[in-house]
Amino acid sequence: MILNGVEIRDSFAEAFPMVGTRLIITADTAKWAMIAAKTMTGFATSVIGCGCEAGVERELSPEDTPDGRPGVAVLIFAMDIKGLKAVVPLRIGQCVLTSPTSACYAGMEGGDVVSIGKALRYFGDGWQIAKNVDGRRIWRVPVMEGEFVCDHESGTVSGVGGGNILILGTSRGEALAAAEVAVEAMQKVEGCILPFPGGIVRSGSKVGSKYKGMFASSNNAYCPTLRAQTETKLPPEVASVQEIVIDGVSFDAVSACTKAGIEALVALGRDKGVVAIDAGNYGGNLGPYHFKLREIMA
Amino acid sequence: MTGFVLTPRGAFDARVDLTGVLPGAADLERLSIGFGFRRVALGELFSVSGSVGERLTIAGGSPLLDRVAAGLTSGELVVNGDVGADLAKGATGGSVIVNGSAGAYAAGELAGARVAISGDVGERLGAAGDGSRRGMSAGSVVVGGSAGPRAGERLRGGVIVVKGAVAEGAATDLIAGTFAIGGALTGPTGRGMKRGTLLLRSAEGLASGFGDAGEHDLVMLRVLVRRSPELASFLGKGVTRARRFAGDLNVAGKGEALIVG
Repeated sequence: MILNGVEIRDSFAEAFPMVGTRLIITADTAKWAMIAAKTMTGFATSVIGCGCEAGVERELSPEDTPDGRPGVAVLIFAMDIKGLKAVVPLRIGQCVLTSPTSACYAGMEGGDVVSIGKALRYFGDGWQIAKNVDGRRIWRVPVMEGEFVCDHESGTVSGVGGGNILILGTSRGEALAAAEVAVEAMQKVEGCILPFPGGIVRSGSKVGSKYKGMFASSNNAYCPTLRAQTETKLPPEVASVQEIVIDGVSFDAVSACTKAGIEALVALGRDKGVVAIDAGNYGGNLGPYHFKLREIMA
Repeated sequence: MTGFVLTPRGAFDARVDLTGVLPGAADLERLSIGFGFRRVALGELFSVSGSVGERLTIAGGSPLLDRVAAGLTSGELVVNGDVGADLAKGATGGSVIVNGSAGAYAAGELAGARVAISGDVGERLGAAGDGSRRGMSAGSVVVGGSAGPRAGERLRGGVIVVKGAVAEGAATDLIAGTFAIGGALTGPTGRGMKRGTLLLRSAEGLASGFGDAGEHDLVMLRVLVRRSPELASFLGKGVTRARRFAGDLNVAGKGEALIVG
């Protein structure tokens, strides 16, 4: 399949089940809500090394937040509910509770629950105050600035992690520029996050390594500098590859996000240095979710 | 919403116990109810029209109608007139609308229903009944008029809004929950309060054991008005600041009175 000069390879992204939750972080200003959200979702690119994958889902207007202040919705995923229960209170406690003027609310209901105020209330050392309003429990934890307000807990969802596309470009600059355009389009899809720096991974990995104890290592088949030394997936005109990894609350959300990215890249076309779009997989034997690029674009 | 309509056949000359007269109940006409010291079929005191449904209307009230909506779990019960004691006592769900006034122990030990009373209420609104340790634990009650003595006594949870004044001893021994008072406080209010929140227009009448913690911009107020329609109506959507009094410090209480002006 070739669209606007860009080859859509007959490949698929292979993704895995994850458990996720959405949190709504608010603050007096949009600037501080985003600072809290970005801090809270920092060092959360891959479960392999970070224990979770997290990112900003979207900015929220004051009309859409529980306290009428500017807000940010974040999504955080782990491999199982136990892992999620471990990381969520830690991240909120270290990164949101500490962030000026912030508050933190549940962004979804249903499923297993993860603690927010249920765990963080103890910071109040006995001075914390619970409020039950309309069937929901909320905590006020006194802090030096005033009060930190947070919901008792948040619901969770069975999500999908590890959706991806690979952008094969004619140069490092053009591949990155194209990836940035794709990220901008993909971030508009609700229910998804792109957990890597700026949404982009320049070091996509393969499973395993020649070194004992390494779970993942450089994906040599897509490394342009190794073209002469290893089996390559890159045609001669490709000099750089960028990957975009997608986690989402459902298969449909990840599929829609993948499509948004490919469409943006196709709109750029071969003239802007996009040679082909590929996807990372493990032969289809490991992950139950397959995002077939050509089916998505059919 | 279909349902039965009960119309009193005349003025009552004894107290009427309406326990069990709830939306969804069938064969209401033959339901046995208390009347003074004896029991009678409901049809002797009320004419019944309509059909079984999620709504029950009592078209004509009386201060002698006790235990209206007591134990309600779902549906809507509307009274066009006054009611007596124990309105919605222990109700866990549904809604109750009284277009009139209510007697003692209205919403006593309420556990989840929404209650609205356009007029006044008697003593011990939302309070614990005799022999009980805790009053209302969940749900909401809004009183359009004033409340009698000891309103909110031993309140454990939920939201009480009294738009008018409260008599002496309001919020005595309040355990938790939110109690908003729009009118004047008569005598010491909040005495023995352990936790919980009073929302007041003025600190005048607050028990002596409350200490001034200053004026603050409280994010919690913004949340309350967005999650509780009853408090949104009382506070107004734009509320952000309150003067906080902590108490009752005489009993090492960690409650608060927020003066929202």
